[in-house]
Amino acid sequence: MKHFKGKALVLAAALAAAPLTLTAGHASADDVTITVAGSGGGLAKVMKMLFEDPFTKETGIGVKALATTDRASALKAMMAAGKPTWDVSELSATEYAIASANGWLEPINWSKLDPKNTLPAVARADDAVVVASYSTILAVRTDKLPAGKRMTSWADFWDVKTFPGPRALQNQPYDNLEFALIADGVAPADVYTVLSTKDGVDRAFRKLDEIKPHIVSWWTAGAQPVQMLSDGEAFYTSAWNGRITKLATEGTPAAIVWNGGGLKLSYSAIIKGTKHGDAAHAYLSYLTTSPQRAAAFAKMVPYPGFVKGLYDELPAEMGRHLPSHPDNAAKQFATDAKFWAANLSELKERWEAWLLE
Amino acid sequence: MPAADRHSILAAPGLLLLVTFFVVPVGIVFDQGLFDPAFTTAHFERFLARGAYMAVFLNTLRVSVVVAMACLLIGYPVAYFIVRQPPRRRPVLMFLVLVPLWMSILVRTYAWMVVLGREGIVNGLLMTLGITDQPVKLLFTTGAVYVGMVQILLPIMIVTCYSAMTEIDQNLLRAARILGARSGQAFARVFLPLSLEGAVTGTLIVFILSMGFFITPALIGGRRDMMMANLISSQVSQTNWGFAAALAIILLLATVAVLVAARLLTRRLVYAAAKTDTP
Repeated sequence: MKHFKGKALVLAAALAAAPLTLTAGHASADDVTITVAGSGGGLAKVMKMLFEDPFTKETGIGVKALATTDRASALKAMMAAGKPTWDVSELSATEYAIASANGWLEPINWSKLDPKNTLPAVARADDAVVVASYSTILAVRTDKLPAGKRMTSWADFWDVKTFPGPRALQNQPYDNLEFALIADGVAPADVYTVLSTKDGVDRAFRKLDEIKPHIVSWWTAGAQPVQMLSDGEAFYTSAWNGRITKLATEGTPAAIVWNGGGLKLSYSAIIKGTKHGDAAHAYLSYLTTSPQRAAAFAKMVPYPGFVKGLYDELPAEMGRHLPSHPDNAAKQFATDAKFWAANLSELKERWEAWLLE
Repeated sequence: MPAADRHSILAAPGLLLLVTFFVVPVGIVFDQGLFDPAFTTAHFERFLARGAYMAVFLNTLRVSVVVAMACLLIGYPVAYFIVRQPPRRRPVLMFLVLVPLWMSILVRTYAWMVVLGREGIVNGLLMTLGITDQPVKLLFTTGAVYVGMVQILLPIMIVTCYSAMTEIDQNLLRAARILGARSGQAFARVFLPLSLEGAVTGTLIVFILSMGFFITPALIGGRRDMMMANLISSQVSQTNWGFAAALAIILLLATVAVLVAARLLTRRLVYAAAKTDTP
């Protein structure tokens, strides 16, 4: 049985890693290539142009970028097989929390990664660096608002008398429990203190009970709220900031309410057991510590990092629409990835039961 | 015998593929659901202990049964209509039936959002005709899930029924009429029993596909229209693989159970139908 299980896991890992074994190739000491698990798609093109290719030109270190999804599951399989095939991985906040709690990441040597101290404390973890940020914000179809009214908070989102009309939220407990508490009067800074008690969770679900009949759809993919806003299927919805900025520039009267938004960090980390620790540090340093490169990135992808001087490099009008802009960051709460990694399973179970009620 | 041996080599590549990419993964799923790392039924107990999971399971069953029955009731007459057409017209009609299969499920589901939405085609029509002055809620309902899934799966039902019906010698119907049966009788006592096998196969294929449906209920259903596949996906991304595997096993066993029960029942039905024909 044990034998079978080991084999099964190796096979699972091999399947998870199959696309990469074909491309990773062989790297010798003087011909180092690091394998970086990224998101693929349009983002991969930007990463290649702004970071990977110039980095290889400057240092001689090759970068093999992979299009990956569900990286927590892939890492779990790799660790079980004892053969990590990635050197560096992008990680969402939740993926990071899972990977960190399980010890799948190498500690970061900060004097190597950021010798000039350009990154604030919020961007530095023991075993990862923050490369980007995005927010789950309240998005509003401004032309559907009652005459002369403006929606400015989650309390307004909950106020169906003043602001009638269909609404949507994400089909996840995270963000929504925080939004409910903020709508119920909890200060953004105290959200996780309240949520860490049973009473606090009950309070959030009670508040969600109020809005439940007015939510026409519980979205599961980031494209859905955008679609619903543009079709008039929902007038008010939670959504990811970058997509709403894009929707608005394309001509739909949509606006972002930063107040009470959930600021999320996304990370890059070095995978435990890599043979290219130095190269990986050099790459992460190149990726995160230059305000000029960060500004070039933020101009193309509205998910900025935290390097000092970034907003001096950006036109003010553009900076105003970004989640880590000081004005916007001040109104939001930072999503606590560790809280969610510890509690997601239990709260998701309650969430699913609550939705079916 | 040696000839049969030689022929069995032809099945080897398919068999190898099946073992590597189906039998082994299913084995892994069973292993993950039942051993963690020692033998445990904890994952199954968790499923049984929570009413919500059972509700999702029952909902999956209900949706699959309704969709399979709706496809049968709509698809069987269409297949019958096509098979009764002159031979030259049949391929054209079958081609039209198959066209929607070339479009991805995702695209067709989004198309239903355009049709059923608040500012969609149906509501636009209703409001222009003055039947309602407020948009009717059609999207994000269980009804939308049924409509979307039936539209997606109907071609499969029609094709299965049609291919069974083309096997039936049309002269048998003629013979029945000559022997004095009215056209309804000829259909009910000759055609229906002969095409029953195909109709059941089609219904079961649609049922099996429905049991694993994922995208359509998530995109156009309401909050209660959660399917087992949605639940499994959410558990996998939370790295609760043991529980996800247990859910997959439950889904698989339920599907197999329905399959076996339906097969036994049809055998009896076909037998009974055949028996009425003997004097």
